[in-house]
Amino acid sequence: MSYFLNLVFAGLAVGAIYGMLAMGYAIIYKVSRVVNFAQGEIMMLIGYISYSVALRTDASAPLVMLSVIAGAIGVGLLIERFIVRPMLGQPVFSLVMMTIALAVMIRAVVGLIWGLDPYRFPGSATGAPIELFGVYMQPIQLFLLAVYVALCVGVWAFLRFNIVGIAMRATATDSTVSLLMGVSVSRLYRVAWIISALIAGIAGVLFANIYHIGPDLAHVGIRAFPAAILGGLDSVLGSALGGLIIGVVENLAGGYIASAYKEIAGFVVILVILMIRPYGLFGQKDIERV
Amino acid sequence: MLSQAPLNADLHVVNAQVLYDGVVEAVRDVSFSVDAGRIVCLLGANGAGKSTLLKAISGILGPEKGALTKGSITFAGKGLTALSSDGIVRKGIVQVPEGRRLFVNLTVEENLLMGGFTVRAAERAVRLESVYSLFPDLTDHRHRVAGYLSGGQQQMVAIGRALMSSPSLLMLDEPSLGLAPKIVEQIFAAISSLRDSGDIAILLVEQNARLALTISDYGYVLERGRVVFDGDAATLLGSPEIQEFYLGLDQSAGRKSLRDVKHYRRRKRWLA
Ligand SMILES: Nc1ncnc2c1ncn2[C@@H]1O[C@H](COP(=O)(O)OP(=O)(O)OP(=O)(O)O)[C@@H](O)[C@H]1O
Ligand SMILES: [Mg+2]
Repeated sequence: MSYFLNLVFAGLAVGAIYGMLAMGYAIIYKVSRVVNFAQGEIMMLIGYISYSVALRTDASAPLVMLSVIAGAIGVGLLIERFIVRPMLGQPVFSLVMMTIALAVMIRAVVGLIWGLDPYRFPGSATGAPIELFGVYMQPIQLFLLAVYVALCVGVWAFLRFNIVGIAMRATATDSTVSLLMGVSVSRLYRVAWIISALIAGIAGVLFANIYHIGPDLAHVGIRAFPAAILGGLDSVLGSALGGLIIGVVENLAGGYIASAYKEIAGFVVILVILMIRPYGLFGQKDIERV
Repeated sequence: MLSQAPLNADLHVVNAQVLYDGVVEAVRDVSFSVDAGRIVCLLGANGAGKSTLLKAISGILGPEKGALTKGSITFAGKGLTALSSDGIVRKGIVQVPEGRRLFVNLTVEENLLMGGFTVRAAERAVRLESVYSLFPDLTDHRHRVAGYLSGGQQQMVAIGRALMSSPSLLMLDEPSLGLAPKIVEQIFAAISSLRDSGDIAILLVEQNARLALTISDYGYVLERGRVVFDGDAATLLGSPEIQEFYLGLDQSAGRKSLRDVKHYRRRKRWLA
């Protein structure tokens, strides 16, 4: 039993990271129908930026946090300006291809600047684990889960009560009418890319603090992708929940079957779920318009 | 907002030509004007180019690969053609699109708030209450998902949504489409009371010519992308050509919608 619970808890912790990345996928997809295949790379890039800041500032927590925010805004703005905006009016598919190119580019740039070896994140907490009902929890894992919950609540409230958040949902339903309401769609895309980069950056720093900072952070993006599909690509909170599910399933598969199954378990789950619910657990079925 | 509206909030479309895909000419050499405090209607059968004109004014032809290729559109003395669609809304021009096009999975209130996207939050709250007082029926449904409302209620939301930004020019694309006569009457009463309330100019696109002319001050008739008649509403209602072709009053005295007239004409063409 405690083996099972430990697996579940560890799954939740890694699932929270997946969930955050998946929220980023969903936010961008929601407003623009674009799947951003560079999500994991953006997480890695911002992770590295904050790593450099941590190195030079003796791991000052406020400065690391600030660097995540500044990094996310910078990355989001650059991508919107140089990749998304020039592609406006082009088929969505072309932009999706551009995000794949972007992913390759970020990986190359990160490799050039920081090299290919993983590092320990400066000041990463190695506090004694807390034991509860036989489950061992690192304080940083608990912190991660708290951040995950806070982000979910924050994003939910933003989409529900903030006019820009409402505009994102409106644009997902009918982008032409959003234009008629005076929404500047390019400004909306900018906000979406920044929020998505911000959440990815937070996930990146937490990941780096729990494990390490290295080029393999980018792979987390691919592992998180099933989470977004599972939750419904246009449902931000659904995607966040999908992350937890994928994390737990992966860990259980790794713990009870064989660690080799860990990587594919998430994809098996979406295969099954998509057969039953083609739009994911919480996805909106497109409403036909005449 | 209203107090800042320029006194001469008139719309002038001059010699407009609109092409889709660079070749399909949907509007050809069309000119018309709408003055503040008046309802002007654009009449015409399916495909006449009415919606295209409204899209050109709102600056949303781009996503449909359309473009204003000749002519000019000015509002309150300033050209609109260089503005983006959100800039045009900020100038005070709003349209209620054909088929209502509510954000179906947002609530009624969220739909209305979206209409006030360009105004400040405090102003938005004030406008919200005034829309509820114009359409009291909506108050009970404010937290319902808009897609589940009846057609008439949806049209009220669509008009209310457009009014949220206190427009100086309100454009309505076939507000009577698919609604029961009783509801249409209600909607049209609301439209004419808006005009009577003052500073707003209204451009009304309709297939239901008789109904539109009864509340309009002036009318233009479009046919295959060109203006073929224009005149005071009363003149148009009385003119024999209009009566025959657009009001369907020649042989049968009964009311016919333009759609019927059009089918009748098409049948005639096939028979010929
Ligand atoms: N996106 C488009 N691409 C190409 N042609 C179009 C497009 N939209 C409209 N058209 C054409 O332009 C012409 C005018 O269309 P428009 O929608 O403006 O007519 P309308 O007067 O609003 O008709 P209805 O009463 O049916 O709404 C039609 O011949 C139509 O086929
Ligand atoms: Mg039309």
